[in-house]
Amino acid sequence: MAEHLSEAVHHHAPPQGFIRKYVFSLDHKVIGIQYYFLAILSVMVGMVLSWLVRIHLVWPKVAIPGLQALSAAGAPGGIITPEYYLSLMTLHGTLMVFFVLTTAPQAGFGNYALPIQIGAEDMAFPRLNMLSFWTTFLGLVCLLATLFVKDGPPISGWTAYPPLSAVGSDAGPGLGLGQDLWGISIAIFCVGSLLGALNFIVTTVDLRCKGMGLMRMPLTVWAWLITAILSLLSFAVLFAACVLLILDKNAGTSFFVPAGLLVNEKLQPHSGGSPLLWQHLFWFFGHPEVYIAIVPGFGVISHILSTFARKPVLGYKVIVGCLLSIGFLSFMVWGHHMFVSGMSPYSGFLFSIPTLIITLPATIVSLLWLGTVFGGRLRFTTAMLFALGFISVFVTGGLGGMFLAQPSLDIFLHGTYFVVGHFHMVMGVAAIFGMFAGTYFWFPKMFGRMMNEKIGKIHFIFTFIGVYCIFMPMHFLGLEGNPRRYASFVNEFLQPLLPVHEFITIAALATGAVQLLFFFNLFWSIFKGPKAAENPWEATSLEWTVPSPPPFDNFGGKHPVVSHGPYEYGVDNNGKDYVMQSDPAGQPASS
Amino acid sequence: MHMENTETAGFKVIFSVWFGLLGLTVCEVFLAYRALPLVTMFVILMILSVFKAALIIAYFMHLRYEQPSLFVTLIPAFIFVIGMMTVIFADSSRLSHMRSLIQ
Amino acid sequence: MSSSSDVVGGVHGQAESTTAKLSFWDGGSLPYSIPSKKLGMWLFIVSDAITFSAVIFAYGYLRLAAPDWPRPFETSSIVNATVMTFVLLSSSVVMVLAVRASSQGKVGSAVGWLLATALGGVLFDILHIREWLGLIHEGVRPFQNPWGTPMFGAAFFTMTGLHMTHVTIGVIYLLIVAAGYRAKKLSPVDVEVSGLYWHFVDLVWMFIFPLVYLLSAKMA
Repeated sequence: MAEHLSEAVHHHAPPQGFIRKYVFSLDHKVIGIQYYFLAILSVMVGMVLSWLVRIHLVWPKVAIPGLQALSAAGAPGGIITPEYYLSLMTLHGTLMVFFVLTTAPQAGFGNYALPIQIGAEDMAFPRLNMLSFWTTFLGLVCLLATLFVKDGPPISGWTAYPPLSAVGSDAGPGLGLGQDLWGISIAIFCVGSLLGALNFIVTTVDLRCKGMGLMRMPLTVWAWLITAILSLLSFAVLFAACVLLILDKNAGTSFFVPAGLLVNEKLQPHSGGSPLLWQHLFWFFGHPEVYIAIVPGFGVISHILSTFARKPVLGYKVIVGCLLSIGFLSFMVWGHHMFVSGMSPYSGFLFSIPTLIITLPATIVSLLWLGTVFGGRLRFTTAMLFALGFISVFVTGGLGGMFLAQPSLDIFLHGTYFVVGHFHMVMGVAAIFGMFAGTYFWFPKMFGRMMNEKIGKIHFIFTFIGVYCIFMPMHFLGLEGNPRRYASFVNEFLQPLLPVHEFITIAALATGAVQLLFFFNLFWSIFKGPKAAENPWEATSLEWTVPSPPPFDNFGGKHPVVSHGPYEYGVDNNGKDYVMQSDPAGQPASS
Repeated sequence: MHMENTETAGFKVIFSVWFGLLGLTVCEVFLAYRALPLVTMFVILMILSVFKAALIIAYFMHLRYEQPSLFVTLIPAFIFVIGMMTVIFADSSRLSHMRSLIQ
Repeated sequence: MSSSSDVVGGVHGQAESTTAKLSFWDGGSLPYSIPSKKLGMWLFIVSDAITFSAVIFAYGYLRLAAPDWPRPFETSSIVNATVMTFVLLSSSVVMVLAVRASSQGKVGSAVGWLLATALGGVLFDILHIREWLGLIHEGVRPFQNPWGTPMFGAAFFTMTGLHMTHVTIGVIYLLIVAAGYRAKKLSPVDVEVSGLYWHFVDLVWMFIFPLVYLLSAKMA
């Protein structure tokens, strides 16, 4: 019945008019780019927030221009108060984790490239896709609004632990309207993510073109599929948790607040709740969330390494198996965020084991990447540099996880800069490197122009050095006992560490400045970059068989037929060293 | 290729399932008034509810007549997630125990 | 089975030079043999089921830890809740009839059954709101009640409120589908997909009813 295809993908005519083409677009490519720029906006704001907190830590008396206008109470005379420090830190974390790392790698690049890579015209549900984006956008608006409400963003961190987050403004600024807006923003974000996730899964399952069996899908597609499954299952729990938190704050329920709580000498009218319950629900989501942030990067890196090493991915099936195991195990480890929370120590032991086990598939994947590159004929494009850099920063950051996975060590390291260094290396660096690599790689396809490789390489080298300067020292700070989420370090034992903090802050500002090169390169090249060919990287996946940028229905009405795997590089194919996935079967004739 | 499976539950099956569900509901209500310890009552009611849910999923939602792969995709993932969530009850019973100590 | 050449799906009908057995998973076909919308709704249901489970687990967690959880539901409340259960189960059966009729192309019948299902949902909502008003009149709030830990009211209103919201959305959804199917803008697949949602809502009640009502029935 022809209705399968027509109901799976509405054969819509090409959109007319600016609004239909670029604003309320059904085209997955436009939506992917919209998500990408939503993430760019969020990362810019998030980065500025990180500068503010870092500057405050080492130069607390410096008046920051313009800040008093934003918040008279939070930054009187431009000097950040300790509470406002926590507010800015909260917003930084929330923006980065949700609106950067959970959007661009998956909804940004995934929306853009997945349908083309599987030979489809669009996602399975284009209208739902558009709805997902605008829902996410609404979530961002709610979150950014916290900057402009009277008491500012909440001070409870991106983790919003009750009772602090549940008792309202008795406990501090930002915990009234700010916390409500936070909860609403995240709940809205959950809905957008859920809708996106089911779109990704149905598309990958149902809309692959003929010959695109599961084991012929590029690893990017596998990564996006697994991430979508994780999203589908885990955001559901966060949504429930946010609803309960909002009720605790506004309806007087006590899911998370125990009886007899005195806050600023006021007895809170709650009884019967458990703060640990929030932690369980939050981290049940929170751990799969960090894999949602990194797994798309695994896919992109695998794809790019193979392309620019001119060698098939080593152990494709093993990598698929590892990604699946990581996804599976990610639901079994959340308690490692709660080792010192008062959770049952037996649970702690039970969580520690899968946490250590999950390092195995991650290590195997890292080794397979090295094996992919080893013996290859490397082409050091900027995308490749970031992909190689990803291996380095991911392994570095991941090693820190091995320490934290052990409850005995975590007793000392929890809540210190060791944790901050660890998660920034894996999420704030590695996942971002994945995004950079994806940008440099797919930019020609998205915008029909090339980015400037020279600027790209300068961007890479200074960023790579910069992020190590910022986040490696944090591990040592943590080992020395430097707590996190402190607005200032007044204890005596912390004084010798202040020069390290200064070094970090300077490195952060410098690395931040280097990103201006990237933004300049990005925006300039969109309009003025040299025109891109159909397949500038000589890559094999289906998106490189269509014009740059592709027509609105990707394949111009044709349905590609795939006869090859995704990584046939290093072959002798009539002068080329690669075979495209949709090349006729039987090529290359000589092998 | 098969689109809609032509095999579908007949009227008789659907109405039997319906009566079964109503009957099970009545059983549950009667059981509720037996003086059983809370946990035992909970376990029995859960078993009955899971059975009712299975009937609805299999016959009303048609899962019994779909490809087995659909069942394998959806249900084990759900059960796994729910199973993992039960780990949180360790802390609930600790809380209960600690509260009984200070009572 | 379709054989139009440019439509995905005719895998078995095409001659392939390889002798490998083509599976549904080789691309160009629907591996689960169901329309994409149906798969999409199943996935939504799994996710929504997890959300409900999280809320129910939160209730269980707090109830297990609470020494003073009340059991206040009189026989009349239990009877009311049982009637609500019957209403919802019956509306589910009627929904099956609607899907069956639509698959046979009987538009009028299907629309009629759809409206009957929606009516069942409305009846459920009315009984539920009546019950809520009764409890509120007795002093039950999300933050207190006359019988025991304040969490009783919180858990009760949250779980049943979340469920009632889903029922209400379901009623609106069914009415839209009925109108759309009647106007031939929507297909039998859309009817079936709405049926899946409705059965899911019924399914959740199969758990809420014993966990919320029966476990808090006032024993003689």
